[in-house]
Amino acid sequence: MKGHALGWQMLICVVLLVVWQWGYDLHEMAPDFVPDLLDPYFVSRPSDIMKQFLILSCLKSKMGLWNGWFDGQFGACMTKYENNLWMAMWVTLKTTFFGFLAGVSSGFVLGLALGRSAKLSAVFQPFITAVNSIPRIALAPLIVLAFGIGETSKIVTSWIVVVFLVFFNTFEGARSVDEGFINTARLLGASEWKITRTVIIPSTMTWLFASLTPAISFALIGVIVGEFIGAERGIGRLIIESEARGEAAGMMVAVIVLMIVGVVLSALIWRLQAYLLRWQAHYQRN
Amino acid sequence: MSETGRPKIEVRGLGKSFRFGGSTIDAVDDVSFSIRRGEFVALLGPSGSGKSTVLNMIATLLEPSRGEMFIDGNRVIPHRATPDVGYVFQRDTLFPWRTVAENIGYGLELAGVPKAEREARVAECVAQAGLKGFETAYPSSLSGGMRQRAALMRAIVVRPQVLLMDEPFGALDTHTKIDMHDVLLKIWDREQQTVLFVTHDLGEALTLADRIILFSARPGRIKESFEVDLPRPRDAVKLPETPRYAELFSRIWHSLGEEFVKGRAA
Repeated sequence: MKGHALGWQMLICVVLLVVWQWGYDLHEMAPDFVPDLLDPYFVSRPSDIMKQFLILSCLKSKMGLWNGWFDGQFGACMTKYENNLWMAMWVTLKTTFFGFLAGVSSGFVLGLALGRSAKLSAVFQPFITAVNSIPRIALAPLIVLAFGIGETSKIVTSWIVVVFLVFFNTFEGARSVDEGFINTARLLGASEWKITRTVIIPSTMTWLFASLTPAISFALIGVIVGEFIGAERGIGRLIIESEARGEAAGMMVAVIVLMIVGVVLSALIWRLQAYLLRWQAHYQRN
Repeated sequence: MSETGRPKIEVRGLGKSFRFGGSTIDAVDDVSFSIRRGEFVALLGPSGSGKSTVLNMIATLLEPSRGEMFIDGNRVIPHRATPDVGYVFQRDTLFPWRTVAENIGYGLELAGVPKAEREARVAECVAQAGLKGFETAYPSSLSGGMRQRAALMRAIVVRPQVLLMDEPFGALDTHTKIDMHDVLLKIWDREQQTVLFVTHDLGEALTLADRIILFSARPGRIKESFEVDLPRPRDAVKLPETPRYAELFSRIWHSLGEEFVKGRAA
């Protein structure tokens, strides 16, 4: 059954690529019958994207010749184009990671504190609701203004979109901890701190993890938007550069790279989740 | 049983009222009893007779509206765990993120018992409860009976002198229940804890207890108290076949039946 699905998936990919590659040629041959939806000026085409990928990643020169590793052409290209694909990817990944880490840890701590303290949550609830009502992305220009076009502003943008997501999930999780678990621990002599560590945190983990997969996408969105507004390097910057030159292929390269990065990061989180939540019945099926 | 003056558990004029909207409902009213060291007492009554409420007040989970409670002569303070008192819930409340062995060892971990001793005591309990081979299993993969056995052992492993049990086998099928009675009787025969066991099942109360305190329908009051003079050690399977069991059963059943009828009318 699984092989069956894979066969169909491959077929769908091939059909999509073929249509994308030669669909516009078909329109040019018979403009009356085939609509011009796939104008390469706007959506590029697979062969051009591949070409652009090789150029942006310094594997080939703009002339279409391979950049040698040993003759130093590859290295020269890497230094000349500061925002080559590899460097852009590294910068974007790094800032995404730190933004994600900051957002998740602060959101978790905040959610736990407010979720377990009726007093704190009563005081802060209106402020959190108010700040949460701001579309976070609207703050990005302000953040770039305040923190400059370096990496810090990207981390802050990313943090601000992640922190609320994680906060609300943790908050709900911390509030819905089974009283039976807490009573069991208390009657066995657990202190408040021990109850937090051995009951409340583990039982909130499920809720935390439910927010991590969207959180990593949000972190990436935050970084890319930050890079759009002002950056020296990064995938977002690469998109803006390509846009300025009217190169759809370059933008497509960036988008495809982002897609792959997103899939890999989600898969990593899923693996971590399957390990840490291995006590849940649906992770025990091998 | 040795009578060493002071009762192990003493309850005096205990009462609990709950407020529902504008009106106040008395769930428990003027309950007094005392329990000897090492005595196994069942609190029996129809549902809504306040027997679990009494137990939960003794366990410090609920604050009484009136009256006092003492364990070893020390006043029970609400929401502060009393040392050497174990509690087994109606639901098993096993931590789903801990394995069977980690669940059983939880209380020892809190008490700071060194790892080697902890493991030895957990292994002993695992064997006693017939959970060998399931030490590293998570609760989600166990049957209801196994889960409740693990929960029982989590309370037993810290060697409490008092064991409070709130219909712990209420959700189990008849066979599993009898199985659990045997496990509990064996533990009690050896360790002689003072047990307060809430149940609505007369057969269960007769099988396990030295004394049955019968509660009346709401408001929960003590109606009658019965000594269960069945010989020990008891066999949970064979005991119900004896004539003395049948005799006690029909006597208490009559009194319990009156309360069921009253409870239905209310």
